[in-house]
Amino acid sequence: MAIATLDRAASLNPWRQRALAEKALIGFGFLALALLLPPWPGALLVSLAICAFTFFGARVPLRLWLTTAALPLGFLASGALMLVVEIGAGGVALAPGGLVPAAELAGRAMAATFCLIFLAMTTPMADLFGGLRRLRVPGELVELALLTYRFVFLIADEAAAMTAAQRARLGHSSRRLWLRSTAMVIASLLPRALARARRMETGLAARGWHGEMRVLSTRLPACGRRLALVVAVQLAVVLAVLAVVGLG
Amino acid sequence: MHIMEGFLPASHAFGWTVVSAPFVLAGAARIRTIVRERPEARLTLAASGAFAFVLSALKIPSVTGSCSHPTGTGLGAIVFGPSVMAVLGVIVLLFQALLLAHGGLTTLGANAFSMAIVGPWVAYGSWRLAQVVGLPFAAAVFLAAALGDLATYVFTSLQLALAYPDPVSGYFGAALKFGSIFAITQIPLAIAEGLLTVVVIEALSGKIRDEDRIAALSGGRE
Repeated sequence: MAIATLDRAASLNPWRQRALAEKALIGFGFLALALLLPPWPGALLVSLAICAFTFFGARVPLRLWLTTAALPLGFLASGALMLVVEIGAGGVALAPGGLVPAAELAGRAMAATFCLIFLAMTTPMADLFGGLRRLRVPGELVELALLTYRFVFLIADEAAAMTAAQRARLGHSSRRLWLRSTAMVIASLLPRALARARRMETGLAARGWHGEMRVLSTRLPACGRRLALVVAVQLAVVLAVLAVVGLG
Repeated sequence: MHIMEGFLPASHAFGWTVVSAPFVLAGAARIRTIVRERPEARLTLAASGAFAFVLSALKIPSVTGSCSHPTGTGLGAIVFGPSVMAVLGVIVLLFQALLLAHGGLTTLGANAFSMAIVGPWVAYGSWRLAQVVGLPFAAAVFLAAALGDLATYVFTSLQLALAYPDPVSGYFGAALKFGSIFAITQIPLAIAEGLLTVVVIEALSGKIRDEDRIAALSGGRE
């Protein structure tokens, strides 16, 4: 997956125009619920709710969502497997009670990952950083993060162009060459990135820059009714989990 | 090696965030002073952060047949120093979580501790030690990058073991379990990254004599 894939999806998403507070309440709220509620049935309900918001609300393309969600699965598969086995005196054996904790862990991690993907696919990082500024995170750090964000795509394009040029010249034809080619990309990327920063600094200094990048951003007011709806869904999830746990 | 979103229980996620916070806050405070005194430095810092992130999205071949990505821990520790790497590392982890869905927000603290604090400090420590012992330049770079990677991987296995101890053999057995399953990918990666970093530093420093190489680099980021 290219670096710009999720950012582009987030910028094109119909919910791009929604207020940050609404999306943050959905993403971070359900993330907290996924982590704090008991995995059964918490993880299931959180997954259902966040997927409903992702697909019916934000209309995230299913194909892209599946590609993105497949990435963490490798880690989850090998990590959760470790809970199923145990190491005793006789070597590695199947843990008698291992399946339940492994399933609970897998459920919780998947639910939390779905929340992360919801945020990543509906909210461009620049908007999130803007929100951090409103939360009184020091301005210098937010500016730094925003500048980094703008540099990322320029440098990524440069790296992609270099890699394509090397591939076309058989630079990846053997492992040895591949490793060497990647090292050459990195070695030419760092001086280029720093030179780019210096050029930009000169250009900005010539325009009287004092360390604050002012850009226009449309800030939409949060809709109280939508916020109330999200809180209601979250409350319903909590109550349902409490009911099931109480019955069990 | 990133711990995925939601993999750690809430208490562990919170605990690791608290443990990493002093390092990151100290780095952030330093960056704030640097930026206040010289506003132009923020462009250099931003370009370095973006570079570190793009570096971690490049592909390198791995011995097991699959391909993997370099972490840049060793390179960053040698070129920028370990304290700056704490902040750059957190920026990289945040971008990886939100732009690639790799790693996570709740596990940011745990990942930051192993990848942005333990890894760079081990890399930097082995780099200095190798210089004191008098190892050849290339060997010192290789050791710094490879050991930095290995330290990250071993520490991540310990973090996972702390969260999920083995029912029979406890924390030790769990560390062994997590360590051995991730060894398949992580040990070849450490070797590949060590070799990669040697070529990078060689190419970066060109024909300058060994002892001047790193000084030239840190001067170059001014």
